[in-house]
Amino acid sequence: MILNVNGSRHEVEAGTRTLLEVLRDDLGLVGAKEGCGIGMCGACTVLVDGKPISGCLTLAEQVPGKEILTIESLEKNGQLHPVQQAFIDERAFQCAYCTPGFILSAVALLNENPNPSEDDIREYLSGNLCRCGSYQNILKAVVEAGKRLR
Amino acid sequence: MIGESVPMLDSVARVMGTVDYMINLRLPKMLFGKIVRSQAPHAKSLKVDVTNAMRIPGVVAILTGEDLGANAFYGVAIKDQGVVAVDRVRYVGEPIAAIAAESLDAAEQAAVLIDIEYHELPAVFDAQDAIQAGAPNLHEKFPNNIFKHAKLRHGDMDAAFAEADEIFEDTFTSPVAQQASLEPHVSAAQWDGEHLTIWTASQAPFMVRKSLSEIFGIAPEAVRVIVPSLGGGYGGKGHIRIEPLVAAMARKTNGRPVKFVLSRAEEFVTVTKHAASITLKTGVKRDGTFTARQATLYWNGGAYADASPMLVPAGMVRAVGPYRIPAVHVDSYGVYTNLPPAGAYRGAMSSQTTWAYESQMDIIARKMGWDPFEFRMKNLFVSGEHFATGEELHDVHFVECLEVSAKGLGVPSPLTPLPKGEGQGMRVGRGYGVMMKSTVATSKSQARLKLKDDGTVTLYTSTVEMGQGGHTTMAQITAETLGVPLRAIKIIGPDTAITPFDSTTSASRSTSMMGNAVIAACGTMKKKLFELGSPLLETPVDGLRTENGFVVADEISISFGDILKRNDLNTVEESGEYSTSFGIDPETGQGVATPHWHQGAGAAEVEVDTETGRITILKYSAAAFAGRVVNPRMAQLQNDGNVIFGLGPTLMEEIVYDGGQPINPNLADYSIPSIRDIPAELISICIESGEGEMHGIGEMTLPPVAPAIANAIEDAVGVRIKDLPITAEKILRALREKSQR
Repeated sequence: MILNVNGSRHEVEAGTRTLLEVLRDDLGLVGAKEGCGIGMCGACTVLVDGKPISGCLTLAEQVPGKEILTIESLEKNGQLHPVQQAFIDERAFQCAYCTPGFILSAVALLNENPNPSEDDIREYLSGNLCRCGSYQNILKAVVEAGKRLR
Repeated sequence: MIGESVPMLDSVARVMGTVDYMINLRLPKMLFGKIVRSQAPHAKSLKVDVTNAMRIPGVVAILTGEDLGANAFYGVAIKDQGVVAVDRVRYVGEPIAAIAAESLDAAEQAAVLIDIEYHELPAVFDAQDAIQAGAPNLHEKFPNNIFKHAKLRHGDMDAAFAEADEIFEDTFTSPVAQQASLEPHVSAAQWDGEHLTIWTASQAPFMVRKSLSEIFGIAPEAVRVIVPSLGGGYGGKGHIRIEPLVAAMARKTNGRPVKFVLSRAEEFVTVTKHAASITLKTGVKRDGTFTARQATLYWNGGAYADASPMLVPAGMVRAVGPYRIPAVHVDSYGVYTNLPPAGAYRGAMSSQTTWAYESQMDIIARKMGWDPFEFRMKNLFVSGEHFATGEELHDVHFVECLEVSAKGLGVPSPLTPLPKGEGQGMRVGRGYGVMMKSTVATSKSQARLKLKDDGTVTLYTSTVEMGQGGHTTMAQITAETLGVPLRAIKIIGPDTAITPFDSTTSASRSTSMMGNAVIAACGTMKKKLFELGSPLLETPVDGLRTENGFVVADEISISFGDILKRNDLNTVEESGEYSTSFGIDPETGQGVATPHWHQGAGAAEVEVDTETGRITILKYSAAAFAGRVVNPRMAQLQNDGNVIFGLGPTLMEEIVYDGGQPINPNLADYSIPSIRDIPAELISICIESGEGEMHGIGEMTLPPVAPAIANAIEDAVGVRIKDLPITAEKILRALREKSQR
């Protein structure tokens, strides 16, 4: 099957594997990671047609023809995406295992709603878990990124 | 450099998803590992038949107890745990066999074909049940299942209790919980003859090295432990975890490496937070002072002692609390049960003990008619006083921690009465908690610096970067002390083949211990540079200083790199070491428990819905004493993280077992805090002392969270919860019982 990942077409033999497995094992895109394996933690978040989904719960065969974006797509020509830069500026991570998932969810949120309230952000990011407890700064980073993108 | 909030050195990699976590490791000819685990909580006469499993194409080797040598038992202090089970299993999830295969699929297919037979035995899951006569016994050497009894004896208890006007006795419990780092335990091992290399997500590479060298009967130097950045640790990757099994498996694969990645369900049976039952008997006088405290602690260590022989005594000194109490006796018991082995959980042991002593503070204050804040302020230790171990306290700031956290609630005074809430059934309350925690009494850190003739500096350190910013902190300390730009510094480690010794990255010790080792290494490096530079600058050594990569005299300077070149040197290496060796008497608990005390406090304002029992944390304000702060924003972030992490065990975290089977070993049924659980307002403050020691801050504000919230709940609705976690159901039940009285 053909998957459209980060703007390129990739021919893969996915079988019954998940999108996360194909991205990591076949395409070497390792920014998304398995955290819980059941769609609760968001560490495997990728964007499918702009929506954040759990790569661990999505079979690769569900997504041919759709636009798949991973964390690896955000940096362009040495320039970080404004959400990535805001995460650095606001110190919005510690171990950073969850960070790619949070950033992609935030990118999707800001595409849908360029000026979200703090409650909107809390609601939208509630499917991403950060065990280090960086949530305060994640909130600040998303607010700041929203400002920069507007 | 020290005191500047530079971003983490590898920040760009962290937001791009390119950090090399263990999970990404791929080695040439690497095999995939899978563990087969016990489904029985206690059984003997274990027989394992791998015949059918070996027939699966792609299976390379299977490890069972039969492969193990006589030394295949390990443990930090008591070597009671088999690399895999031998003859006997003692908890659900105990490894019985392991498979190495060309693919994970093959390993998983083989796993279900391993035939296991055993004879089930009666099992026991609660520590206080396990010490009763006739309870099932786990290890013959410890017939009453008590593997550790730590004692603290200070003062005449009978006389002290006789002086008391009131005596309070309360029991507080904490359930089994799990560290739940999002990165699971991951290790890979490869043998080359009698040399072992292990790549592992571990907080304690040198403990792993020592243990593996003992298990396999090889020199410590024949074991190389490499640790990349961790996706969280929180104590769960401390000590020794899956490394012995992974190394033993790799011994059967003819030199091919094998990698194990645990599933989330396996995480829950790999290491846990000790369940604890803590009874405090405390005598007070009507003038608001203490006479005595007797603490009895039962720690559920699970089926193997693991790190508990060290943690149970630590829990003992951490159970007394930061108050002036003339007579103190503590009995801290580590008990075997048929549950997975327990280990350190962020705020180790102090989470359980602070829950007890800070909850009881409010019980006492309310009964005696005292304000809980004033009662604490009156009794908190100050510098120069003596703790129950006999040691003199230095640089203690408990009063300041409590004051600062209380002020953070944003009311004119912590004593201003609160309006008790608006609307039907909504009640507001406020509560406090203060914590006094020891760090590791005896430990050592070493650091090595290599200066190259291009002016770059490499710091070799075995401090593990697990998200706390340890490597960034060490680079900042190097930059400041050596006088080089931060960008000139590169950090390597941990890799036990090339980085020097460090006891462990835990107990919030790295900034203090490794930080001082780095300072020592910088000192010797500077001395060397001055000696080499003095003739070149025609200035005596005592007229020299360093700045921005240069050795500077009055009107002349020379770069570090040029000093080396002019002396025909490519590199200069210098080392530094920092160690502490304190300790307490095992029979009396007298001595020095810690190089310095960790100090934290919290103040909570909560709203309780009396119709549903639901709690909302409106505000939380935390303060930790941090001494000299290296990186203020990262310190604050870690301080925030403590509070947020602490909300988990306070409000939601509990592994529930049915006959030893964990029934919620997944992140759907075992909740950890999400962004929606954080308080609407969260303040956390690091109290600094510019000239003071550098303190770690990885845990200080965590243990006060649970009692501060429980105390706020009692303030709001008059019910006292003594068993964690504090769920809506428990509050509602308590409210109903109260209304029926």
